[in-house]
Amino acid sequence: MEKSIEVIWKEGFLKNEILVGPKVTNLYNQKSIHFIDKYKRMFKINLNAIAIGSVVVLAASFFSGIPIMGVGLFLVSAGVFVVNKRLAKGLDRIDENVNSYQYLKSFRSWLDDQISVNKKMAMIYYPLIFLSTIMGFWFSSKNGQQLNETVMNELMVKYPDLYVVFGMPLIGLLAMVFILAVLALFGGKIYHWDLNIVYGRVIRKLDELISDMEDLRA
Amino acid sequence: MSSDFYRSSILPYAAIVIKICRAYTNTQEDFEDYYQEVCLQIWKSRDNFRQQSEWSTWVYRLSLNVCLTLLKKKKNNYQHFASDALPEEVVEDSHAFSDEALNHLYDAIRQLSEVDRGVILLYLEEKTYQEIAEIIGTNPNNIGVRIKRIKERLKKRLDGKVN
Repeated sequence: MEKSIEVIWKEGFLKNEILVGPKVTNLYNQKSIHFIDKYKRMFKINLNAIAIGSVVVLAASFFSGIPIMGVGLFLVSAGVFVVNKRLAKGLDRIDENVNSYQYLKSFRSWLDDQISVNKKMAMIYYPLIFLSTIMGFWFSSKNGQQLNETVMNELMVKYPDLYVVFGMPLIGLLAMVFILAVLALFGGKIYHWDLNIVYGRVIRKLDELISDMEDLRA
Repeated sequence: MSSDFYRSSILPYAAIVIKICRAYTNTQEDFEDYYQEVCLQIWKSRDNFRQQSEWSTWVYRLSLNVCLTLLKKKKNNYQHFASDALPEEVVEDSHAFSDEALNHLYDAIRQLSEVDRGVILLYLEEKTYQEIAEIIGTNPNNIGVRIKRIKERLKKRLDGKVN
């Protein structure tokens, strides 16, 4: 005789009296792999964006008559690219045969190293970006005339007593040195803001994941 | 998660979690992932349990919500669309239980829409229409009609093997 679905359900589970779930030991395996794969993808995309962006800016700067800025930004980006490309090799060295917790901890440690290196670099490259941008515009030329000459001529007419050092007004030079010092001083902090915008969510998720796993191990 | 909590608050209700997770997964691997995620969410959300319902009802609700969320995430990953759409995956896990008829029934349930799967599971677990409506978050007046339709669909899929 045909059975109703209610009977199939009841009888079926009577035969399977003890339903045993999988052990909650291998938890997060899939999550860890997905997580790190996601980070790797993001990291790769960002590095490629830096490489492509720097070449585009370099080319555009020559067309726009601000090659110093383009060259400066290109060199800074190239430095960031090369260093991070080397750091990325460390990612492949993380042992995948360990458990999820150790895997994530190794990844976190790699991430800490990467952040620390970039933080130090940021204290140099943010001032360099600023310097090349200012220099780029200062020495840019339009219609055969250099911007610095035009500006200096106008300033000398308005302020004949202006104190000039290396062809620049001293006050401007001092302001530039001040900004460079601030950028060098706070480069690490600026990098952190930057990092937070791009990877903040992923990093928070990673820490949450590790903390959950630590609770699970407790 | 402390093993005490697992032993006292999850293990006695593991059958509920297993029954639900089986209905939302097609492979043993997915089933284990879903099961573990549900256990984890029960543990993480334990402080949100307000004792307005029974712990088992709360476990049902949480298990369904977690399974629906995971399924949605999976669908998004594969660029699937509507949340209530019929599943398109091939059913691979047809031998999860020792009872052949139960395996067939599960295969048929897996072909229902996500919400219908939840409704019929709760119905088969002898939850009242009111409880089903509360857990699913719908109007209890529609539950009876919906269950009737689902049962008809299941009968068709089981190819007349049930009455």
